[in-house]
Amino acid sequence: MVLLETRGLTKSFGGLVAVDGVDLAIEEGESISVIGPNGAGKSTLINLVTRMLDPTAGEIEFKGESITGYEPHEVVQKGVSRSFQTASIFPELSVEENAQIASLAAEHGSFRLNFLRHRDNYGEVEASAREILDAVDLLGQRNVTAEDLPYGDKRRLELAIALASEPDLLLMDEPTAGMSPEETAATVRLIERVKEELGLTILLVEHDMEVVFNVADRIVVLHRGAVIAEGAPEEVQGDPEVQEAYLGGVEA
Amino acid sequence: MSDEPTETADAAEDGGAVVERTRRRFPSWSRAVESEWFVVGATTVAVALFPWLFARAPVVSDLLNGYQDLASLILIWGIFAMGFNLLLGYTGLLSFGHAAFWGGAAYAAGLFSTQVSSSPLLIVAAGTVFAALLAWVLGFVALRRGGIYFAILTLAFGQMMYYMALSPLSGITNGENGYTDVEVGQLFGSFHLRYPVPGLDWLLGTWQYVFVGAITVLCVALAYRVLNSPYGMVFRAIRENEQRAEFVGLNVWRYKLMAFIISGSLAGVAGSLFTIHGSYVPLESLYWTTSGEVVIMAVLGGVGSLFGPILGAGLYLYVENITSGIRELTVPLTDVVLLDGFGAYWHLILGLVFVAVIVLFPRGIWGLFRDVAAGIRRLGGGRR
Ligand SMILES: Nc1ncnc2c1ncn2[C@@H]1O[C@H](COP(=O)(O)OP(=O)(O)OP(=O)(O)O)[C@@H](O)[C@H]1O
Ligand SMILES: [Mg+2]
Repeated sequence: MVLLETRGLTKSFGGLVAVDGVDLAIEEGESISVIGPNGAGKSTLINLVTRMLDPTAGEIEFKGESITGYEPHEVVQKGVSRSFQTASIFPELSVEENAQIASLAAEHGSFRLNFLRHRDNYGEVEASAREILDAVDLLGQRNVTAEDLPYGDKRRLELAIALASEPDLLLMDEPTAGMSPEETAATVRLIERVKEELGLTILLVEHDMEVVFNVADRIVVLHRGAVIAEGAPEEVQGDPEVQEAYLGGVEA
Repeated sequence: MSDEPTETADAAEDGGAVVERTRRRFPSWSRAVESEWFVVGATTVAVALFPWLFARAPVVSDLLNGYQDLASLILIWGIFAMGFNLLLGYTGLLSFGHAAFWGGAAYAAGLFSTQVSSSPLLIVAAGTVFAALLAWVLGFVALRRGGIYFAILTLAFGQMMYYMALSPLSGITNGENGYTDVEVGQLFGSFHLRYPVPGLDWLLGTWQYVFVGAITVLCVALAYRVLNSPYGMVFRAIRENEQRAEFVGLNVWRYKLMAFIISGSLAGVAGSLFTIHGSYVPLESLYWTTSGEVVIMAVLGGVGSLFGPILGAGLYLYVENITSGIRELTVPLTDVVLLDGFGAYWHLILGLVFVAVIVLFPRGIWGLFRDVAAGIRRLGGGRR
């Protein structure tokens, strides 16, 4: 079953076409990786799918239903969650509260009139937040203020927030950027584990080819907003157009 | 919350330790419920003792020079500042138009008292409902913008209300003279607000103080509960990172609107009480300086806490009303004159107090108290 499908998805900023007629279909359970040189439009693509940006043209369908007119929180409630290119967390709250907020939204939906009910009544929110923190090995640091975490842990916390939203599709924008080789390896293991355990479908934007080859079943190459190649990792690697795009990107 | 010991990263290494810590933390949740009772109880005691300490107790009241009427006024502004701070301190939204809710409710309460009923409880209810509806409408418009635009939009709305009361609606509001026809009846039809409480007047003073005090405790309990409900967490999440809050699936806009309505309603409770307190609604209650005053009170007291703004309101009104009345500054409890014509400088004094607090204690008076308390605990308790 196709989980996510975009048709002719286009976004222009003034004269610049950042995403250019992208047709993308992701099967349930699949892991795809979107690669491409700097400025290729990878983050913009994620922003379009998660409804952070309005497309200039095109359609987005999730679970066979158009989400093109949705608000971002509605998209999340439908089962799409994301991480940002810069670790986006709640800096002054504890690690545990960071996860609880996401669990709360997952368990209770986008809005409720429960402002006179004590949080004590929401044991399931705490339990699921703990479970997620345990899964990303942050349970021991749960009382630490999030901004005091080392960088690698912050990114893991962001992943925990994204996972606590109980998604079917997880979009990750360069989750290992800025990480040490050890942290990168740990993150890859983490991604593979949650993919197995939660049966997630994954769209990964990543520059680190080792990570891409480890995680992706299929690779999509973006260049100047358009898809120039698509296929299994080995196929794409040998594609002359892809090599050209990357070399061109280095020169520019 | 900050009283909990901070655990370090190494706890993760030892699986056994994690399990143990997990188990240990559960009782602390039941303690949270107890602490709600504790907060309400402590507030009740503080509110009950306040007018006595402030206006009548030996030595203390001589030092403070307080009086009964100011005690009620401090509580009323305290409710206003506390409600305002739910928005500024907890949700991260700076409204510069809260005079609209305070003054709007004050006028609504005043009009209600002459036109419909003079029952104090109903007057407060009417003013509060008016403020809540007003907050809903204003929030609907102003919350579409963030940051400085939000502040300006709220300011503009507040000033619009001011000018409406000043002239187009002066037939109803009595224009620049303020609304003078307020009629305050008896509480539950039997307690005259101006009369002393029989047997307890040495402690509480008048029924009016009992009325204001009871509503203050109720408002504190309500605000405390809101902050300990899922809303409290969502508000702080929005303050910390609005985008992330939206992208965990929260309808940020509706939560912000709720924060605005709850905050505006508390301002409405306070504004209605202000009408009852003075039996009069001054036009300035809608003026932008009122919005500015509540910002200063909240920041002075400390925006990071529920009670800070109430202390801020107290200090502000104290300087405004007491310090301004002191003709000569003397060494406490003696007649030695330090400075003549002291009171005329109250604005300057307030400015100095404000700057001193912000520079020395960025977390406000409440933050200072917390630091002192933590210091004493460290000195006295040591480590176990
Ligand atoms: N909000 C915006 N306004 C104007 N231009 C934008 C905006 N966002 C992105 N762009 C432009 O669109 C193009 C694609 O940007 P995008 O961030 O999607 O690239 P990317 O593939 O994620 O690059 P990187 O690998 O550096 O993260 C770039 O030229 C960028 O400058
Ligand atoms: Mg990018």
